[in-house]
Amino acid sequence: MLNAQTLRMAMGEIASVMAENRQYLIELDQRNGDGDLGISMSDGFAAASAFVNTSEESDLGKLLVGASKVFNEAAPSSLGTIMSFCMMGMARTLKGHESADTALVGEAMVAGVAKIMERANSKPGEKTVLDALDPAARALCDHAGEGASAAWQAAAKAAAEGSDSTANMQAVHGRAAYYGDKTIGMIDGGSVAGKLIFEALNQAIQKMD
Amino acid sequence: MKKIINQPGNFVDEVMEGIVAAYGDRVKLLDGDRRVILSNTPTRDGKVGIVTGGGSGHLPVFLGYVGQGLLDGCAVGNVFASPSAEKMAKTIKACDRGNGVLCLYGNYGGDNMNFDMACEMVDLEDDIKTMTVRVKDDVASAPPEAAERRRGVAGMVYAFKVAGAAADEGRPLEAVAAVAQKALGNIRTMGIALSPCIVPDVGKPTFAIADHEVEIGMGIHGEPGIEVRAMASADELAEIILGKLLGDMPLTAGDTVSVMVNGLGATPKEELLIVYRYLHKQLSEKGVKLVMPHIGEFATSMEMAGLSVTLFKLDSELEALLRAPASTPFYTNENI
Repeated sequence: MLNAQTLRMAMGEIASVMAENRQYLIELDQRNGDGDLGISMSDGFAAASAFVNTSEESDLGKLLVGASKVFNEAAPSSLGTIMSFCMMGMARTLKGHESADTALVGEAMVAGVAKIMERANSKPGEKTVLDALDPAARALCDHAGEGASAAWQAAAKAAAEGSDSTANMQAVHGRAAYYGDKTIGMIDGGSVAGKLIFEALNQAIQKMD
Repeated sequence: MKKIINQPGNFVDEVMEGIVAAYGDRVKLLDGDRRVILSNTPTRDGKVGIVTGGGSGHLPVFLGYVGQGLLDGCAVGNVFASPSAEKMAKTIKACDRGNGVLCLYGNYGGDNMNFDMACEMVDLEDDIKTMTVRVKDDVASAPPEAAERRRGVAGMVYAFKVAGAAADEGRPLEAVAAVAQKALGNIRTMGIALSPCIVPDVGKPTFAIADHEVEIGMGIHGEPGIEVRAMASADELAEIILGKLLGDMPLTAGDTVSVMVNGLGATPKEELLIVYRYLHKQLSEKGVKLVMPHIGEFATSMEMAGLSVTLFKLDSELEALLRAPASTPFYTNENI
């Protein structure tokens, strides 16, 4: 069950996974981006985690709006802004809820993914973070009836497979797009960040069980 | 570098202090924040708010159009850098009178992302309705088939004017956005640059143009144009610009236009008038009627030398909105 307390744990887990992978993400991004991916993901989630840990708020939507704002200030890069949009989209679904079951969290994640697509004018298959987040959010919804543990495992697996699949895609967004078909064969750094988010969330869920 | 400044890092703050010192009766900072400026002019109850924002270094764009009959507020960024989403959200909140806010600004990646974020914030936290219209008037920045990618330059001043007048009439948000969009469909701009500009924090020119050359189609931050060619006469340069603009938006006998000849910062008004004289002759000979000339500095790029020309094709509605009274510290159409 997601509530203010479990959201703090989840955000903390993502922040520590991003901190551990900071250098790895920087190196991934340096191949065809500007190398700030590891910095913006670790700084952004550290700020978001610090915010939810100190906030007295119990409304999940309001917590996520606040987290999104501090994330955006700490990580004003393209992917940082995209992550902030995702949290804004989730917040819209979770506004007015102090707790949410797996089905509602899945619905919120689908809304977060939709918000990214709307604001960044992109869709899955274009070698971006969406290739991890979109299948993961849908897997979470599809498996919500099997219990939190099974659903989050399925979501993490879908995110990992989605990220791996970006190796076969050609970049069309951001600086990577300038490299055109040279990007084929490389995994997209943003999608790895997406995979890591679901890995961290799955770890947090398994710890809670 | 020769610039009349103090510490480069204080450039924007000190400009804002100057604005408040000089025009504090007509504009004000939001709670002393030197990155958010608001109009001091009382407006009708429930007027739709109009907000813009963008980097500094382009005065009178952006904040110079905050005032009576024009904009309600402006988020101010560092030189050539987008303001943060948070400043934009504060500006939107301060300008909402219960009937929503139009965000009207130039089409640049950072500004787009941050305004989108700000609109999400005020919707989620304050239930403020916003609409967005992006200015994409620079014909040199992308071909017609990719017009969605074009940058926003001096033509945004006409869009501000039209939207401001429509909001003053009491039109609802959707209608104000629609008429701004309609105006932008009739607005085209192209510029030429003779010399580069210097961002204070950088301390050296952003790019180089040789003494005997002119860059056709350069953007207002020094974005590359479409051609570097040998310097030419005023009439030849005006002809190149007019040809490009008319290629994008044809004008025929009986059409009415307002023409803006805008200095980029270091070009004398005399030279702008020499160019206007040529454009007036060419267009008049085609049977086009010219009204409300805008000649002077409306959107600059620090000390860049050069100019831009904007054509704004008018129908009776747009002409009436352009003529409606407006007055800010940097703009009035009283003498136009």
